[in-house]
Amino acid sequence: MKRTVDVNIPLGPVHPCFKEPVRLKCETRGERVIGVEVELGYMKKGIERIMKGRPWQEVMFLAERVCGICSVIHNMVFIEAIERISGIDVPKRAAFLRVIANELDRMQSHLLANFSYCYTIEHETLAMYLLDVRELVMDELERLTGARVTCAYIIPGGVRCDIRAEDQATLRISLDRIESDLHRYAKMFETGPMIALRSKGIGILTQESARRSHAVGPTARGSGINVDMRTLHPTYQQLGFVPVVRKDCDNHARIMVRFDELFASIRIIRQCLDTLQKGIIRGGGICKAGEIRYSGEAPRGELTYTIKTDEFGRITDIQIQTPSIMNIEACCHEMIVGVDSIADVTSTFVSADPCIACTER
Amino acid sequence: MSGWLYEQDLMVQKYHILIATRHDRILRTIASDVGIGVQELRKTLIERLDMILLENLPARYEAAIAADQKGDDLVALALGRYIFSTGIPLVRESRMDEILRTTKERLDRGTPRPEAIAAGKALIREAILQ
Repeated sequence: MKRTVDVNIPLGPVHPCFKEPVRLKCETRGERVIGVEVELGYMKKGIERIMKGRPWQEVMFLAERVCGICSVIHNMVFIEAIERISGIDVPKRAAFLRVIANELDRMQSHLLANFSYCYTIEHETLAMYLLDVRELVMDELERLTGARVTCAYIIPGGVRCDIRAEDQATLRISLDRIESDLHRYAKMFETGPMIALRSKGIGILTQESARRSHAVGPTARGSGINVDMRTLHPTYQQLGFVPVVRKDCDNHARIMVRFDELFASIRIIRQCLDTLQKGIIRGGGICKAGEIRYSGEAPRGELTYTIKTDEFGRITDIQIQTPSIMNIEACCHEMIVGVDSIADVTSTFVSADPCIACTER
Repeated sequence: MSGWLYEQDLMVQKYHILIATRHDRILRTIASDVGIGVQELRKTLIERLDMILLENLPARYEAAIAADQKGDDLVALALGRYIFSTGIPLVRESRMDEILRTTKERLDRGTPRPEAIAAGKALIREAILQ
């Protein structure tokens, strides 16, 4: 039903604050936003259709090409789904190496998300500091997996390559530096009065709204919902993982959840390095026929793969539910609606860490 | 000032979202539940919901089912109160409350349960297609 509005303001598809193309059609009454309609379709890949009928050996490379920012978790969830269908066990050392790769990936994704937010609210100094730290994390990811983005590190029954003793030492040194830098930057963000003006009490996502839109990841955890798929993962359970939750429900809380999770990731990686057992990194197994719905915790939240395979290990059906779908929906229909200024639309949108590549698949 | 200057027709793109495996499965469940044709329901969803809500349909549907099951109102559960009012916003909440009240009154008057629920679903169908 059409409503009476003062002005319709389209943002995007190309906007300096958006990492990827999307069009937000904002309806305003005065300065207040009363409704948002999202227009997608500027970068549809049709990757699920491409995957169908192909063997898992090809699909594992396609899976990590769904998203360039969180490629490791797409690789991990797809492979772990195949392992569960086929009953393939993972050696303990490989399971811990998977966690290290996944947490490094989460760290670089969170740093990029927080960079984007700081850039959007025009705190470019902090934004560039965060981008500088991200480079350190990317270097460590490259040292571990051999690549910065599409790593293809996780394979059925283990991981592709081991971590050397000297690389472990370098990783520990880098983590120390990252941690000390991040303490400073997180404090800058948490206590900055100008940052608070643009972030506190803006883009409110109540717990009820978050549940209704099925918001996930830091977006949900910033609204006080204790939901994290890592709590169901056996390796994380072994490490005694506890999710980070904040209850302020605003842009500030969502960014702070990501800062807190960066420290949590550093702790997890250190724990993995401390308890890393000697042994093989690749087991064996044959991919079998079956069907499964399997979820993992991506940097942006719950990532679900629904996969059907045949007896030759070919993917006959696949559906990918990425966290950005839920978070962008929650953001545009709950968080942005009611913001008092059109200037807050971009910052609120970016605070949910939207990934259009994931959404459009 | 409520029209768009450079508007593109999103019908085909929205249709492609709805024919994905999981979306299609859920859409068919809803269609058979309220007795609407699949194409008619697709058309209604395309006209009334935006692209991201259509993409998020399976997650919202599951969240709404969980919300329905959490409550102890069996009539609301049978009618799918949260599914049609908040999960997939096709019926206004006030109208849904009205339908729920009418159905409960019918049950109080002694109408057999399946008959009362069917009448409630007919009202939901009417509200969806309005």
